[in-house]
Amino acid sequence: MLGPLLRRLLPLPLILLAASVVAFALPRLVGGDVTRAVLRARVASDAPDPAVTARVAAELGLDGPVAGQYLRWLGAVLRGDLGIGYVARTPVADQLGSALGVSGLLTGAALALAALVGIPAGVLAARRPGGPLDRALSAAGIAGIAVPEFVLAPWLVLVFAVGAGLFPAIGWGGPEHLVLPVLTLAAYPAALAAQLVRAETIDVLGRDHVRLARAKGLPERRVLWRHAARLALTSVTSLSGMFVAGLLGGAVVVETVFGIPGVGRLLLDAVLARDLPVLQAGTLVLVAVAVVAGMVAEVAQLALDPVAHDREADR
Amino acid sequence: MPRRRAARLVAAVAGAILLAAGCSGQGGGGGEAGADGELTVALQFPPRAAYAFDADDGARLQSLGVAETLTTVDDAVQPAPGLATSWEQTADPRTWRFVLRHGVTFHDGSPLTPDAVVTALRYIAGVTAPPRSIRGIGFTIAADGADAVRITTAAPDPVVPLRMSSGNLGILAPAAYTGGQPDVVRTGTGPYVLNTVNGTDSAVLVRNDGYWGPKAGAARVTVRYVTDPQSRALALQSGDVQFAEGLPNASLDQLRSAGVDVAEYPAARTIELLLNQSAAPFSDLRVRQAVTKAIDRPVLAAQVLGGAAAPAADLFGAAVPWGGTAPPPGADVDGAKALLAEAGYGPDRPLQVRLWTFPNRPEMPVLAGAIQSMLGRAGIGVEVTVGDYSAQEPDVLAGRFDMFLNSRSYLSDYPDATSTLTSDYTCAGSYNIDHYCSAAYDALTARLPTVTDTAERQRLFAEAARVLTADAVGVMVVHPLNTAGSRGASGFVADPLGVRPVLPPLSRTDT
Amino acid sequence: MRRLAGGAGILLLLVVVLPMLLPDPVATDFAAILRPPSAAHPSGTDQLGRDVAARLLVGARLTLGLSAVTVLVTGVVGTAVGLASGYAGGPVGRAVLRLTDLLAALPTVLFGLLAAVVLGPGTVALLIAVTLVGWTPFARQAHQLTVRELGQGYVEGAGALGAARARVLGGHVLRNIARPLVAHACVRFAGTLLTVSGLSFLGLGIQPPSPEWGAMVAEGREFLFAAPHVVLAPSVAVVLVAALALLAGRALGDSVAGRRSPGPRPVVVSRFRRRRQNEGGN
Repeated sequence: MLGPLLRRLLPLPLILLAASVVAFALPRLVGGDVTRAVLRARVASDAPDPAVTARVAAELGLDGPVAGQYLRWLGAVLRGDLGIGYVARTPVADQLGSALGVSGLLTGAALALAALVGIPAGVLAARRPGGPLDRALSAAGIAGIAVPEFVLAPWLVLVFAVGAGLFPAIGWGGPEHLVLPVLTLAAYPAALAAQLVRAETIDVLGRDHVRLARAKGLPERRVLWRHAARLALTSVTSLSGMFVAGLLGGAVVVETVFGIPGVGRLLLDAVLARDLPVLQAGTLVLVAVAVVAGMVAEVAQLALDPVAHDREADR
Repeated sequence: MPRRRAARLVAAVAGAILLAAGCSGQGGGGGEAGADGELTVALQFPPRAAYAFDADDGARLQSLGVAETLTTVDDAVQPAPGLATSWEQTADPRTWRFVLRHGVTFHDGSPLTPDAVVTALRYIAGVTAPPRSIRGIGFTIAADGADAVRITTAAPDPVVPLRMSSGNLGILAPAAYTGGQPDVVRTGTGPYVLNTVNGTDSAVLVRNDGYWGPKAGAARVTVRYVTDPQSRALALQSGDVQFAEGLPNASLDQLRSAGVDVAEYPAARTIELLLNQSAAPFSDLRVRQAVTKAIDRPVLAAQVLGGAAAPAADLFGAAVPWGGTAPPPGADVDGAKALLAEAGYGPDRPLQVRLWTFPNRPEMPVLAGAIQSMLGRAGIGVEVTVGDYSAQEPDVLAGRFDMFLNSRSYLSDYPDATSTLTSDYTCAGSYNIDHYCSAAYDALTARLPTVTDTAERQRLFAEAARVLTADAVGVMVVHPLNTAGSRGASGFVADPLGVRPVLPPLSRTDT
Repeated sequence: MRRLAGGAGILLLLVVVLPMLLPDPVATDFAAILRPPSAAHPSGTDQLGRDVAARLLVGARLTLGLSAVTVLVTGVVGTAVGLASGYAGGPVGRAVLRLTDLLAALPTVLFGLLAAVVLGPGTVALLIAVTLVGWTPFARQAHQLTVRELGQGYVEGAGALGAARARVLGGHVLRNIARPLVAHACVRFAGTLLTVSGLSFLGLGIQPPSPEWGAMVAEGREFLFAAPHVVLAPSVAVVLVAALALLAGRALGDSVAGRRSPGPRPVVVSRFRRRRQNEGGN
C-alpha cells in the first residue's frame, strides 16, 4: 500500500522545485512596479514618490538581483518560513492556513453532497439503461455539467436568497452560509459521479458471476445494490483525486460570488495587489495539494480496485 | 427488502439535505439584536494591514472612535481641539507648540503625557513609508514641559495643525509600541475601546466609560466587515445590523420603503477623464474643450450611475467648502463638433482615440462605455480598454496614452488640497498624468506654503480649480456620493472629509 | 449527424442574421436603463440602455469564436503530440503521459491567475491559459487511441506491405481515430466555453465593455436584484450552448461525455477504457 505511494511521490520534489521557479519568476515579469502596486494596496490613491518607493522596495527585499531574491526565498521556504504578506503584513502561513481550512470545508462538503446524490443516481440509472429514469437522470447530468458555477450561483441567490429568503445571499460564518455555495459546487461532481457509477454498474451487471447470481434467482435489486457499495467507494476515491483541480477551480468563482475567505479569493486579491509572498506560497501549495491528492487517489484506487479483483475472480 | 433499503437510502439523503436546509434557514435571520445599548454594524472597508497606521487603516481606527489625534476639524474645515486643546506657531515659524488635554488616559490606564505623544508620532514618522500628512516635510517632535509638545518642520508650514488631524497620526499608549507594528487592542484614547479583533472579518468595541468627551452611544458594538455592497444592504434589511455604509444604489428605494434611514452625502473624490497633453490630439486646447462639451455630466450622474454621484463642475465639488456646487452644463454636441472642425477634425478626418480605465471600481467601466457613446455622437471614435491599473500606471505617467479615466481622492489624509494640486497638475508633479504644464498655475500653487489664513488658502484652492477648468486639463466627470443607512440606530453624522469618528454618535433606538 | 448540421446552421443564423434585425448593440439610450424585456428589447436593456439581446449576439462571436479557435488549436497540437507519443511508446510515451497528467492536475484558474499576473488580465492572457491546459486531454486520448490502433492487425499488415511508418500513422491510424477525436472536440468545446466565460467572469479574461458572456454576467451581477434579466440572458446562453455541445459529443459517442475541465482523468473511466483496449488487442 505504501510502496506505490512512495514511488509516485519521488518526483514530487522536482515538480515542486519547477513550480517554485515558475511561481517566483512569473510575477516578476509583470508590467508595472511591484512596490508601487503594494503601496497602493496599503494606501489607496497614493501619488508616486520615488524615494519612498525605493525604501519600501529595499524593505520588501525587492531590490538586487532576482536570482539572489529567489535563493533567499527558497531557503526560507525550505525552513518552513513562507514569509510575511506584503499587504496584510501577517504571516503568509497564517493567511494560507485559514484560507485552506475554509476552502477545504467548502469542497469537502460539496464532495460529500455530490457522492450522496450522484452515486445513488448512477446506480438507479444503470438498472434500466435507456429507460425513462436513465434518460431523465442523464438529462439532469448534462445540466449539472453545462451549468457553470458563475451561472448557478446567481441563480441560486435569486431563487433562495432573494425570492424565498431562506439563506443569506452572501457571507461566511454560520452553517447557513454553507448551503448555497455547497449546492453550487456540488452540481458538477454529482453529475460526474452519476455518469461514472452508471457506466461502471452497467459493466458489472454484464459480468459472468453477476449473471450467475441472477440465474441462481437472487433478486435483481439485491445484486445491484450489493455492488453499489463497492462502486461508491471507487468513485469517491476517484472523485477526490479530481476534487482539488476541479473543485478548487470552481471554488474561486464560488468564493468570489459568495464572499467566502478561501484560497481562491486570497490568490485573486494577491494578484491584484501584487502580493508576491502570498502568490508564490499559494501557487506552491496548490500545486503540491493537487499533485499529492491525485497520487493518493490513484494509489487508493489500486488498493481498493474491485474490478481488478473481479477480473481475477472471473478467470 | 432490498427495495426498502434503496428507498431508505434515497429518503435518508433527501432528509439530510432538507434538514440541513431547514436548520440553516432558521439560523439565517438571527443576528445579535436584543440587548439594549448594543449595536451591530456592517462596514465597507476591512483593515488592509492589521490596523497599521501607515496604511489606510489609520483612518479606520479614527472612524471607529478608537484612536484619536492631536487635532480634528470642524465643519468649516478649520482645525479643532482633539487630544491637544490649543496650539500656536512659536517665534520660530518652523515650530508649532501643541498643549495637551488634561486628564486623558489611554484604554490601558496609562496617562496621556508629552512623552507618549512623542513615542507615537516618532514611530509613525520613522516607518519606511510615512503617511502623506507628514511625508517629506522634515517632521520632528519633542516634549515641551509637562503638558505640551513641539513639532518642527524643515520649512515654515502653515498647516501643521490640519496635518495633525490625519487618522494616520493616531496616538496609542506607550505600551503599544514594542518594536513591531503597534498593538491597537485596548491602547487608544477614544470613546470606544477596541476589545477583540477577528482579522478582516469583525471586531468588537466596548464603551470607554472614562472618556474625556461625550460618551459613546452604545455599550458594545460588533463591527462586521462586509465587502460586498449587496450583502450590506441585505444585512440592514433583515435586521442583522442596525447601521451599514456604502449601500448599492439600486437598492436604496427598497431600503427606504423598508424603513431604513438612508443618508447620501458627497465624497472628497473625483472621477476624472485625464487627457494626455504631451501629444496630439489633446495638446490642442480646442480638442480638450470639445471633449468637455461632448460629455453630458448630468446624464452620467443621474442616469448612467442612477444618482449615485453628483455631476462635477470642478475638481472639488460639494464635499469641501471651497468646491463648486453649481451643476455643470449638459452636452453641447454642435459646439463640440464646431471646436473639432476648428482644430482640423471632421467627417473627412475623424478623431480616433484610446480610452483606458480599470475595473476595481465597478462604476469605471460603466462610465467608460457611456463616455465612449457620448463622444461618438460628437464624431470622436473611442476604443475602450479596461485593464489592470498597476500595469497601466507606468504608461500613463510616461504620457503613452490618450485618455485615462481615473478615480482620485483629492484630500491626502488631511483636509487640505495642496498636495493633490501640486502632484497632479504642476509641471514637475509626480502624479501629473495629463502632463498639464502652466507657469501661471504653478505660480498660483507656489503661494500655498506661505499662506496661513485658512480662508485665504481655501480661496486659493478654488482659484486653482477654476484655472484647471478654464484650461480644460481634463474632464472632471462626477463626484461619487457616499451612502449610509440605519434602522434601529440613530445619531449618524455624515462626514464628507472622512477624518471624524462615525460610530461614537450612533445609539440604539427601539423599532 | 444531420441534426448536428442543422443545429450548427441555426446557430450560424442566430449569430449572423439576427443581429441585423435587432437594435444596434453599442447604441446607448440613457433614458431606458435596465428596462425589463419588451417588444422593442426582447431581453431588456442593460445599465447603459443597450439592447441585451443584441449584445448577446455580438458576444456570441467573441465567446464562441474564442472557444472554437482554442479547441481547434489545442485539438491539433494535442492530437499531434498524442499521435507521436503513442507511436513512439516506451519512455517517451510514458513521459508525455506523465506531463499531461501533471498539467491536468492543476486548476485552470491557477493558469488564468498566473497568465493575468504576467500579461495583465485580457484576451491574450485568457487564450494562453486555456491553451496551456487545453491540449492535454486531446494528447492523452490520441495517445491511447494510437496505442490501441497500432495493436490492430491492419496496421501490422500495412507495415508488412512496406508502407512508410509515417504514412501508417498519418493515414490509417488518424482516419480510424478521427471520430472519437471529433466527439471529444465537441465535449472540449463545451468545457472551453465554460472556462473562457468563467475566467472572464472573474475579470481575468475579456474585459467588461466587450459583450463576452461571462463578463456580461459579472457586470449584471451588480443589478441582480433590481434587474435580473441582465444576468439571466447571458447565463442562459452559456448553458444552452454548452449543453448542445455536450449532447453533440454524446451523440458522436464520446464515452467520457462531460469532462468539463481537463482535470486528472477519472480513474474509473480510464481503467474501463484500458480494459477495453486490452480486449481490442486480443
